[in-house]
Amino acid sequence: MVAPLKRIGLGGITGSPVAIGVALALMALLLLVPLGHNGYIEIVFRNILMYAAMAYGWNLIGGYTGYVSFGQVAFFGIGAYCSAVLSAHNVDNLFADVALACVVTALFAVLVGLPVLRLKGHYFAIATLGIGLALSDIVANLDVLGASSGLAVHHVDEAHFYVYYYAMWLVALGAMLATYFIARSKLGFAFVAIRENEEAAAVLGIDATRYKIIAWAISAMMAGSAGAVFAPANGFLDPSIAFSADSNIFPIVMGILGGVGTVAGPFIGALILAGANELLQKYFIKIHTLFFGAMIVLVVLLLSRGLVWLFGLKGGARTWLKSLTAYKA
Amino acid sequence: MHLVLQDLANGILAGGILAVVALGFSLVWGIMNIINLAHGAFVMLGAYLTYQLFASLHVDPFLSLPVSFVVMFAAGYLLQRYLINWVVRAPILTTFLLTFGLSLLFVNIALIVWTGDQRGVTTAYAGANFTIVGVTIPWVKLYTLLVALVITGVMHLWLTRSKTGRAIRATSMDIGAAQLSGVRVASIYAIVYGLGAGLAGVAGSLISMSYAINPNMGEPFLIKAFVVCVLGGLGSVQGALVGGLVYGIVEAFATQLDFTIGTQHISGSGLQDAIALAVLLIVLIVRPTGIMGKATA
Amino acid sequence: MKLRPTAALGILALSATLAAPSVPVSAAGDTILFGSPVSLTGSLTKEGHLTQEGYELWKNYVNAHGGLKVGGKTYKVDIKYYDDESKNDTSAQLAERLIDQDHVNFLLGPYGSGTSFTVAQIAERKKIPMVEGNGAAEKIFNQGFKYTFGVLSPAKRYLEGILQMAKAQKPAAQTVAITAASDAFSQEVAQGAAAWANANGMKVVYNNKYPDTATDVSSIISALKQTNPDIILNAGHLQDALLVQKGLKEQNVIAKGYGYSVGPDTPDFASSLGKDANDVFGGAQWSDAVKYKGAPGFIRSAPEYAKAIDAAYHHRADYHNAESTAACLAFQYAIERAGSLDPEKVRDALAKLDVTTFYGIIKFDSRGINLYKPMVVNQIQNGRLTTVWPAFTADGKPIYPAPPWGKR
Repeated sequence: MVAPLKRIGLGGITGSPVAIGVALALMALLLLVPLGHNGYIEIVFRNILMYAAMAYGWNLIGGYTGYVSFGQVAFFGIGAYCSAVLSAHNVDNLFADVALACVVTALFAVLVGLPVLRLKGHYFAIATLGIGLALSDIVANLDVLGASSGLAVHHVDEAHFYVYYYAMWLVALGAMLATYFIARSKLGFAFVAIRENEEAAAVLGIDATRYKIIAWAISAMMAGSAGAVFAPANGFLDPSIAFSADSNIFPIVMGILGGVGTVAGPFIGALILAGANELLQKYFIKIHTLFFGAMIVLVVLLLSRGLVWLFGLKGGARTWLKSLTAYKA
Repeated sequence: MHLVLQDLANGILAGGILAVVALGFSLVWGIMNIINLAHGAFVMLGAYLTYQLFASLHVDPFLSLPVSFVVMFAAGYLLQRYLINWVVRAPILTTFLLTFGLSLLFVNIALIVWTGDQRGVTTAYAGANFTIVGVTIPWVKLYTLLVALVITGVMHLWLTRSKTGRAIRATSMDIGAAQLSGVRVASIYAIVYGLGAGLAGVAGSLISMSYAINPNMGEPFLIKAFVVCVLGGLGSVQGALVGGLVYGIVEAFATQLDFTIGTQHISGSGLQDAIALAVLLIVLIVRPTGIMGKATA
Repeated sequence: MKLRPTAALGILALSATLAAPSVPVSAAGDTILFGSPVSLTGSLTKEGHLTQEGYELWKNYVNAHGGLKVGGKTYKVDIKYYDDESKNDTSAQLAERLIDQDHVNFLLGPYGSGTSFTVAQIAERKKIPMVEGNGAAEKIFNQGFKYTFGVLSPAKRYLEGILQMAKAQKPAAQTVAITAASDAFSQEVAQGAAAWANANGMKVVYNNKYPDTATDVSSIISALKQTNPDIILNAGHLQDALLVQKGLKEQNVIAKGYGYSVGPDTPDFASSLGKDANDVFGGAQWSDAVKYKGAPGFIRSAPEYAKAIDAAYHHRADYHNAESTAACLAFQYAIERAGSLDPEKVRDALAKLDVTTFYGIIKFDSRGINLYKPMVVNQIQNGRLTTVWPAFTADGKPIYPAPPWGKR
């Protein structure tokens, strides 16, 4: 019987270096997208970058630190509303948007994290899910934030729209690089130690509470920055858009697909999932959600450790096949 | 005073349905450690089953309850045995996403089969009610509450007295020891998941009498099931009942919160979901094992 | 088997497919291509399909009757659809796809106020005219957009007609209770109804909201019952309309009139509730009893339109069908009058449009919304939807006050 493999992110703390190389190369390629002058393609790739940034955020708290959060969308939404509020006061500067989003989401993460990060496993997951849902509801009732009708957000004209694309690219790159350097630093070590065995980590002198909150705050800022750039790019924000279930689930599936607890995983997962979604939309107009569901099921069953893991895999297909039964009852 | 009593009654009656929804969910979560996001879809399928029997064969919805249970139990059993079982011992993330994907599948299949039309099950006696001490109580909702109580009682007895029931509880406490005692874990898991689905189906059948039936109907109930389970205590049959009733009452009274500050209308009923989640968070932080939960949950 | 290079190649290949544009359907040549993101899945599936039916009926009629004549040349029409899954930002993205990838000439609106708002943004930015028939929130038209036009009456009007009718009865209704779902459209409807009531001497005795996904509204109904209203109004969607109506019967709430913004006009309401649906009023954008005579170029009367819908889709024509077709008609007459497919010229022609159709008058105010068409009030009488207000379009008299439960 193959012992259940508890560790995720096999291949060193950053994951396979080849995968990182591939990811960086693709990121460089993505710089060329606005040159095609096709607004729709730009949106597709901008969304990929946005989800990638959020996937990195999730990856940090869920993949590296082991606290699986289902509420990252809360930070995305907060970041988006920061931009919307600034816009309502005629401040339409992306730097200001992202800066404010980072500050507010980090504060929120610390405040909420203090009680919530004391919970473990399932309870933590449910609590984070609840936070996302509750925020959506509260904002929908606040007239000052537009309630359910939402807020319009100023944006530049068509000719300069590529600004949002590059801004999102920078956010995604920032998230990727941050993950890389954090993983290799003392922080990364602490995160993984907490994930593997929180009590043992405490014995080693790692202040788990402090590091958990740091991880959550950084992951919040990644999601919040993505939201802050998204709001003006979308031009309009309401609770269903800011706190959408898609924004919650996609980054997680992308993280898993690509490889949890790695540096290249979230980005690669984002590319593949978004690509698959586009193709499904094109060829199966009425039943693409059905296929999407089937795809998630297949990914979970066959690739639960992610693609980047396949990169670093010794033993090739045979080891992969054996791993499929690791979690059977 | 009338309103207070009426709200109490409303809350208890609504809580009864929530308890049945939460019961199956809680069992699967508590015993198999799986948060079954497909639970809402099972509720929906149970509702459609009752609808079909009612619309095509004029079967009374209450009579369709056993059918709903058996069909959904079988479906859940097979699903677990031959699909979910592959990753049943995986970390929470894996099972969470798997059940999410399954939920998408079921909802979309239902959309293809029944389309997005809203359906209803309205019997001749729907809406019939009686009034006692100034409180109006609809018969259908009262029967639903009674069914909920009966199911809870039966489940409790079965889990504590029957051989399979004890095997289930043993598995949830210590899987290794259970295996050593000859329990076939894969079967047990399949039975538990089947039970979860069957109870969801019954809940759906009960809900179909008051609520519009459509492929997406399960989701709000699923979210409330989360709260009820944590509130009442995971894996505990009485917990689901108590949690459901308490939650129903809280929601009913919260609805009466209705005032305006400046131009901002503060509506307890509009903030229902936020209140539910506040309750969830408070319980998780203050007493994570819930009202009736065991310390080892 | 080495997985590394295979995986890398796979990723590159997939990225390449993302960048490859879909083959654009010819917008040049002799076809005018319209694009529309509609909710074919998700919570607004039913309404999305009704919208699509309205569009398709128009397309098939026009193509069967010689197409559109624009500046001396004859064109066929075609419509490309994508499913926005009832999600607001997906709708906007699909609108961009339709414009940038599929090169549509014009946009036909999605279903719903939230989606219409986000798509309107895209229309504005890309300077492609859009006409919609299913997004009634006035907020859309208060943004200063120049490229979006709505053929329907704004949300605030939905329940006004019912109040007007109730006030005109003898004895006049005096008190109103309003319950509303918390989405943007329902809130606007509720606010419009409350504003009208207050401005016309009726008292709003209860006004509360609930989330769209509410599973139980009994406590709202209990509180409302205490205030003893003459008229009970609900601004929501079909799902909660059913909940509310059932709840009212369960708690024995007796009012003189019950009105819903969405519900009675949809066949599902009556079929789900049976006798309990009787005598309920609904505000509607159109009914098949209205007596407008439409301009030539399309089906000219409401009953004929209803027959066409029934023949094609085997159900009674719903106002969502009609308003979607009306959106297409706005384009039809605007394009023909502009004599060109140039977006600017068509936009200007739309802004100046003033034409009567089977749906009613299509004319836009300076903001782009149609203030010139009145709402109708329907009532379910003995299982059949009857138009009861305004008098000039009515085919029946209102039953008011409503008989008690059990006697309908």
